[in-house]
Amino acid sequence: MNQKPVSKILVLDKSSVHNRTIKEFCDANGLVPLKARKSTVMAVLRTNIDLGGILYSDDFGDTPEETVQLALDIHAARPELPIFMRCDSQSSQTGLENKLDQIICATYLADGMEKLRDAINRYIFCVMYPNALLRGISEITTSVLTNQFQNLTVTVDTPYIVRDRVIFGELFSLIPLESAWCRGFMMLQAEATPLMAMANGRSAIPAQPTFREVNDLLGEITNLIWGAFKNRYIGDNQASLSRVVQVPIIVNHNHRYISFGSENPQLCFHLRLTDQVTGSCFSIYERFIFNLSWSPDDFMEIPQEVNQLIASGELELF
Amino acid sequence: MANVLVVDDSGTVRDEVASFLRGAGMDVATAVDGNDGLAKLRTDPRIKLVVADVNMPNMDGLTMAEKIRSELRNATVNIIMLTTESSPNMKERGKAAGVKGWIVKPFKGAAVVESFKKLVG
Repeated sequence: MNQKPVSKILVLDKSSVHNRTIKEFCDANGLVPLKARKSTVMAVLRTNIDLGGILYSDDFGDTPEETVQLALDIHAARPELPIFMRCDSQSSQTGLENKLDQIICATYLADGMEKLRDAINRYIFCVMYPNALLRGISEITTSVLTNQFQNLTVTVDTPYIVRDRVIFGELFSLIPLESAWCRGFMMLQAEATPLMAMANGRSAIPAQPTFREVNDLLGEITNLIWGAFKNRYIGDNQASLSRVVQVPIIVNHNHRYISFGSENPQLCFHLRLTDQVTGSCFSIYERFIFNLSWSPDDFMEIPQEVNQLIASGELELF
Repeated sequence: MANVLVVDDSGTVRDEVASFLRGAGMDVATAVDGNDGLAKLRTDPRIKLVVADVNMPNMDGLTMAEKIRSELRNATVNIIMLTTESSPNMKERGKAAGVKGWIVKPFKGAAVVESFKKLVG
């Protein structure tokens, strides 16, 4: 698996000439482009919960006024997403900057993709994640889900960076991560009905589970991933005294939105659990939000003495 | 009356472990946290083995183990921790509290059932 995170980016640019440049740029810079038409922009924003940003062109609307209004509408709908605007010329770049300077994070010219690259790195790929961490989270999560769901195949996409704050599904769990090198939360998100259907007969919960039993299953999955994460990356290291610092977490049910009080991008893993016989599939999104502290230079894997290793599930008698 | 007490805040784990142990012929009671575990131990003298999680609300499993020895003055019941935790410090604290053994989740009943039967006696 490629361990360099990618990021899904919404492309709102009608230029057929520039589209090839954008495609090449995305391929070269870890971006997964998602195109939308003017008429579908708001629907795409509502249904895509894991975007990293938006590439917008200054002629996306039929008129300059429409271009401005659409940008304002997009920003109002998803203010956490950085908008990078391509301008036709230096003059229009300056003109639109004046009208949209509150919501456009960077502008660029078609022949000046270096500026876009710098902006992408500043706004999306601004947090570095150690390869060992990305690989380990994938391994831990895949192992836990494989153990919890019999006869389902678990696959995980390349980890990606998201900026949005939209909640996927109806069910999510949160658990704090506290260490000397990171402080924040792990969050698992799932749709309740598919999870309930797929868990039925394939997991430790009873047949025909109630929503509380499905809640409990997600809680235990969270606990198992958290425990393995701690054992592998935190050990007995204590977080610094700054651990007393906390910020409120805000959930807006109406907008299916959760804020951790930080504008930082989040690290996201998309897990797919598939029944190979029927082809039915459901998703779990796993996010890591290091909103309180992030010191990747201090990241370390806890070395395990081979003679001290006891396999999970086995009894170690004292 | 039971001879095994399973203490876990997760209903999924509680039911899974209890169901397996009952299938292996043991009498099993359950508790949802350390407080509940202490209460069950106070009222059921037949319990010979406690299988407890560490991370639980209200009272964690290690505190419960310490209180079993100090407050209940029960020096004979065998305590096994079944937990996601595997840090040496946690285990040392468990040993100091008189914990007999440690299992890192997930629970694999077949791997431990014979040991459990010996501990129940």
